[in-house]
Amino acid sequence: MSRTQSGWLQPPTGRPELLVPALLGGVLVVYFILPFVAFLARVGSTPLIEGLATPEAGQAIRHSLLTAPVSTTIATVFGVPLAYVLARRSFPGKRLVEAVVILPMVVPPVVGGAMILTAVGRFTPTGAAAAEVGIPLTGSLLGVVLAQTFVAAPFVIITARAGFGAIDERLEQASRSLGYGPLATFWNVSLPLARGTVVAGIVLTFARAMGEFGATMMVAYNPRTIPTQIWVDFIGGGIDAILPLALALLGLTLLVVAAIQRVGRLPAVVER
Amino acid sequence: MTADANGVGSATNADDDASTTHVDGDERQGMLAVEGLTHRYGTEQALNDVSFTVEAGEAVAVVGPSGCGKTTLVQAISGHLSPSSGRIRLRGEKVTGQPPEQRAVGLVFQTSTLYPHMTVGENVAYGLEPQGIEPSERDEIVADYLSLVDLTAQRQAYPAELSGGQSRRVELARALAPQPELLLLDEPLSALDRSLRLQLRAEIARIQRETGVTMLFVTHNQDDAMGLADRLIVMNDGAIEAIGQPRQLYESPPTPFVASFLGRPTELAATVVDSDPLQIEIADRRVTLPAATRAPPTGETLRCLLRRRMLSLAGDNEHTGLTFSGTVERVTDLGRRYTVTVRIVDGTEVRTEQTAPPPAEGEAVTVTASRESLLVFTATGKTVF
Repeated sequence: MSRTQSGWLQPPTGRPELLVPALLGGVLVVYFILPFVAFLARVGSTPLIEGLATPEAGQAIRHSLLTAPVSTTIATVFGVPLAYVLARRSFPGKRLVEAVVILPMVVPPVVGGAMILTAVGRFTPTGAAAAEVGIPLTGSLLGVVLAQTFVAAPFVIITARAGFGAIDERLEQASRSLGYGPLATFWNVSLPLARGTVVAGIVLTFARAMGEFGATMMVAYNPRTIPTQIWVDFIGGGIDAILPLALALLGLTLLVVAAIQRVGRLPAVVER
Repeated sequence: MTADANGVGSATNADDDASTTHVDGDERQGMLAVEGLTHRYGTEQALNDVSFTVEAGEAVAVVGPSGCGKTTLVQAISGHLSPSSGRIRLRGEKVTGQPPEQRAVGLVFQTSTLYPHMTVGENVAYGLEPQGIEPSERDEIVADYLSLVDLTAQRQAYPAELSGGQSRRVELARALAPQPELLLLDEPLSALDRSLRLQLRAEIARIQRETGVTMLFVTHNQDDAMGLADRLIVMNDGAIEAIGQPRQLYESPPTPFVASFLGRPTELAATVVDSDPLQIEIADRRVTLPAATRAPPTGETLRCLLRRRMLSLAGDNEHTGLTFSGTVERVTDLGRRYTVTVRIVDGTEVRTEQTAPPPAEGEAVTVTASRESLLVFTATGKTVF
């Protein structure tokens, strides 16, 4: 009785039936915010600009900004078509392919990195041959890209697949019957309609690639990206030492995510 | 053309009729010819040896209950499904293996497939580009087709801003703009409410008249089919049950299924009492059928169908028709008319319709059926009367 009364007294948006789920969710939100605030509270205790002015930090930022977009692009170019196929066709072995796509999310990144090493490491035939012609697959920026792609690509595949799956197949059939081939139909209909989810997938993949540490550390400890440099700084100087780069990573990721979302939301030519 | 309703009792019969139309290319070809189309989903038979033709400019309805294979048929003709066997010809040209974009078949589905990210005008123009039509010409064509469906003012609107009926009409305009050889409509009216449905049915009839487009549409609604089609193809369980003109199939249905599907009659069991002349017993009445087409042996059980529209309560023509006594089971008030359900002596429920004030429930009444309301089939579905 008292609950319904308080419901009446609440502003029109108040919905007493959502009180319990909101409280439960709130606990988690507070738990997210708490470490964040505590960490940021230390900002005053360390010079940020000097921290970022070191050659190591500058290089780590350059490496991250070089590798993460490349990994994201690779994941998108190969992952979005795969997502479309998985959303539209059933074929023998589809379950297996789906399991393989989730695999990199299931194994710990550090183990994933170890797996990449056993496949293309310097002492494997592939890795040795590549190093021979001057393209080392480990301990190089390419190695970083390999590690990031392995760990981050599933995000865009799984998200985009859900997006394509939500499109009524008859919209595509109508396009075919109006004279467009499968590829043109994909460009004109499927991709624009799934744009929101595909962009969300790209954002997740990029964020994951930027922050990727475990696999990267195994495959390419050097040259250092922001996360690996953060690890090195932490070993040498503790929490305060990592503040500048951690904030830089956060800022850069947010910046790129905002940019991707802006591009993704850009109305198509036809919408004006 | 397989227009003779009584002549087409089975799919094989229809098949023969259809294939003779296409012995060689010089003869007048149907716009669409479907030959022995069969399709299975796994072990489930969706289409079983379906054959028919559609002439240029004709409006043909494929009717049947849900799950009879109608949608599979549309998908096969439009090229979105590759049939297990059989052939499809458009203007005599074999298109069975061709992808949908090469077929010049316009397609309208039950639910809207307008592109939400394009305006009404852009949706209608969408099918013109692959035809190689110049942008300047496209504008004019779009204007023509939007005026055909009376939506010129909505050209700049987005599909989300349209009402249900408007979006159906845009969809028609979009399908017609590239001037397809054949317009396929898959349950085009099923998602609409009754008044809109009647309105759009008239609209489709007008558009078909004005454009002269060959139209094949699929529906589970017998009223839409009867109201729109020059010819009906009645399907049941993946096979063609009958092909013919709507009125003809309605008046003299070749099978009990066609009779039930088109007329929603009441079914009663009957027994043969005498075979020459044929006399049968329905409930507690004996009826002589001098014009019977078959003479089943005495004692055989027959299926009698009574058309609901020709049934009345305690009618004035008791001496000419059949009468059954019974009690009123239920009365349903439908506003403009009443449905009265009467349980007659053998326990069967018979439904009659009337506009006059109905009797009370439980009241003893007499149901009168004129002789024309009676359809008699053998237990296996052969026409007797």
